[in-house]
Amino acid sequence: MKKLLMATVAAAAMFSAVPSMAIERGGSLTFARYDDSTLIDPIYADRNPDIWMVTNLYDTLLRTEADGKTVTSGLAESYDVAEDGQSVTLTLRDGIKFSDGTPIEGKDVVFSLTRASDADLSPWAGLLSSIDEVTADGNQVTIKLNRPDPTIVLMLATFNTAIVSADAFEAANGETDQEKAQSIAIDGFVGSGPFMMKSHQRGTLMQFGANPHYWREGEDGEPLPYMDGINFLVIPDDATRILKLQAGEVDGAEFIPFARVGELEADQNINMELFPSTRIIYSPINTRETRADGSANPLADMKLRQALNYATDKNALVQLVLQGAGKPVSSGLMASTTQLATDNGPIYQYDLDKAKALIAEAGVPDGTELTLTILAGSADDAIILSALQQMWSQIGIDLNVEQVDGPTRGAKNRSGEFDIHTYGWVNDVNDPAQVAGWLGYYPTAKAVGTGWNNEEFNSLYEASNVEMDPAKRAEQYARMQDIYNEAAPLLFMYETPFAVALSSDVQGYVQTPLGNNEFASTWIDR
Amino acid sequence: MSTISYFFSRLLQIIPTFLIVMVIIFLLVRALPGDPAIAMADAKATTEQLEQIRQRLGLDQPLWMQFGIFVKNVFTGNLGDSILMKAPVTQVILERLPASGFLTLYAVLFSLLIAGPLAFVAALNRNTWLDTSIRTAFQVGLSTPVFYIGLLLLTFLAAQLRWFPVGGYGTTFLEHMYHLLLPALTVALYTSAIIMRNLRSSVIEVVDAEYVQFARAKGLPERIILGRHVLRNALISTVTLLGLSIGNLMSGTLVTETVFAVPGVGRLMLDAIFARDYPLIQGLTLTFAVLVSIIFLLTDLIQAWLDPRLRVA
Repeated sequence: MKKLLMATVAAAAMFSAVPSMAIERGGSLTFARYDDSTLIDPIYADRNPDIWMVTNLYDTLLRTEADGKTVTSGLAESYDVAEDGQSVTLTLRDGIKFSDGTPIEGKDVVFSLTRASDADLSPWAGLLSSIDEVTADGNQVTIKLNRPDPTIVLMLATFNTAIVSADAFEAANGETDQEKAQSIAIDGFVGSGPFMMKSHQRGTLMQFGANPHYWREGEDGEPLPYMDGINFLVIPDDATRILKLQAGEVDGAEFIPFARVGELEADQNINMELFPSTRIIYSPINTRETRADGSANPLADMKLRQALNYATDKNALVQLVLQGAGKPVSSGLMASTTQLATDNGPIYQYDLDKAKALIAEAGVPDGTELTLTILAGSADDAIILSALQQMWSQIGIDLNVEQVDGPTRGAKNRSGEFDIHTYGWVNDVNDPAQVAGWLGYYPTAKAVGTGWNNEEFNSLYEASNVEMDPAKRAEQYARMQDIYNEAAPLLFMYETPFAVALSSDVQGYVQTPLGNNEFASTWIDR
Repeated sequence: MSTISYFFSRLLQIIPTFLIVMVIIFLLVRALPGDPAIAMADAKATTEQLEQIRQRLGLDQPLWMQFGIFVKNVFTGNLGDSILMKAPVTQVILERLPASGFLTLYAVLFSLLIAGPLAFVAALNRNTWLDTSIRTAFQVGLSTPVFYIGLLLLTFLAAQLRWFPVGGYGTTFLEHMYHLLLPALTVALYTSAIIMRNLRSSVIEVVDAEYVQFARAKGLPERIILGRHVLRNALISTVTLLGLSIGNLMSGTLVTETVFAVPGVGRLMLDAIFARDYPLIQGLTLTFAVLVSIIFLLTDLIQAWLDPRLRVA
């Protein structure tokens, strides 16, 4: 009950940000996206255009607030983690239903969580590796764990554990689970979220309609969502997406290039939103003693990596690439919006003298050549390259360039065939374990391909993954960030918001720090 | 040789082309750095998870086995499942092909309407101010980047004047006509320039030919000379060019499709390449090979009809 109250208070707090206008129900929104969804299913969503839509169609047992951090009730009205951390018990809400009107029951939760933690099915199963067994008794669900897991509660508020209908999967056409999921998406949608899939013409148009059986209530005391539906248009070109909004053909357009933000902010008919995100832009540095071609790697010396970080004016990068709509990172390991992020101001503030001193200490000769691998055709990367070439020439570094496409860059990252390359990240889960595992923990993927392998960091990370005491876990994370920042296996760069332009009559739309597009509380003020 | 047996001999020639395309594309996509697993889970998966994905997609099997499965599938009409779209390749391609086909034919129609009459006017008024200004105008069309023309048309005719929708495809035939008018025009500005230049020089060549002078000497009216003798002969090389352009356009309207948000196969091919979606890239390449073969076959047939001498070859 306490949880429920918390949710109500929090929801009220969220809406108080919106001017006190009477909510208008009905109507539909047309939203221009940069890319289309392929299969919106909790476990098969593996690309952002899919992941960021899941919770509109499928509800989770618990939810996070708009800040992305605070956990509140969802399909489960309350939850309880056992003293020993070996199990979680949840109580499902009364009277909750799927979009086809059938009740959401314990068996659906068992089915959904079992499916989500099956490594043969879900690419996200690794995030749920602590789940041993899920059982249900009436509206009580018990998740037995094989070890204490401080992330499990947040995981139950994450898209991949959203609840699907066991009966719908049983009845769906298809041999495999994926074929069944595909058939549910196309032939007869059954979901638990505020919206349901009405139609999908791949590459063109996707239509959501309101789920008439959705449980969560809006500000007016009636069930959400406020709108009758949403039409998603796929407009891959940035300039066309903006023109479409300016012409009034769509009510919203996502992924506005930062170069256009200022212009749209000045437009009275457009509400230019910059939502805080967990997106960080950084560049992994190859820290191995030798390069892939066998030559000696000067970047193995921590001092050179630190020197490069000091010689990089991150504020200038933020101005050049984001037109100021972002900020230099304050933790090397995660965005400042992530839980347990250390935030004592920007790290490695521009300091040419320090950079020169470090490079002298490292004994790096003048005219040392390094190569920056960037994405071909990326305007942002081209700006970063020319800025770094100039900045680093000050400390005697001669920066060459190599241009590749995304998968080639990925392959180079895995094989270590690079000096430094541009990269980005957005959290899928708001627990820091995912991003810290990716960036720093060697066994995951060689610390984002850098080859950086720090024993203290690795053991702290392992300990933090079973540490149930929040205070101790926070200490472990603080220490990990210190180690990481000092070792500088990355060129630390900046955080960016999500830039979404909306027609000025659209209210209550949120893109969460994880990127999720939240349309349940969106309404149109006519 | 009759036209029918000519048709069949041409048809037989397509088969080896097809086999070669299959081998080349199979090897070529795998020679690209990175693989579907990397493309799919680039900045997320552990090394172990990547191996799992590869196993699931059958990428851990030897190449010759993967090729065997591909060939077997093709001959049973199954192009496999798209990794990116998580749906059968044939289905994905069939959904996207109509938009590209519509755009291509629309653009070709525009090109002919623009280039045909102007080429004649230019040729018959050779080296006058009229000829020069027509040729200059087309030169500008030819040398301006397609995306730029597209954005100009979108900004002025669609966003400001609101005469046309800003991109998209629509759902009915008439909506397609309306939505695709600007993209078709954009493509046509480029294509018509090439056709115009070719047609103009053919017309000039034919007009000077002895048989035309003979026809004129016979006292045939100019209308018949131009229609029966000049047009038919001048068209022979233009038909070849047109065939080549259609082949190019079917797969090559990528930029136009992106700027105008047309859900066509050009855009799909780009997405497939960036996703290293082997089944989809192979399926699309085969589709293009079939289409281009059909178009070239038709081109040859039309030429054979225009010029009986070719039927012997």
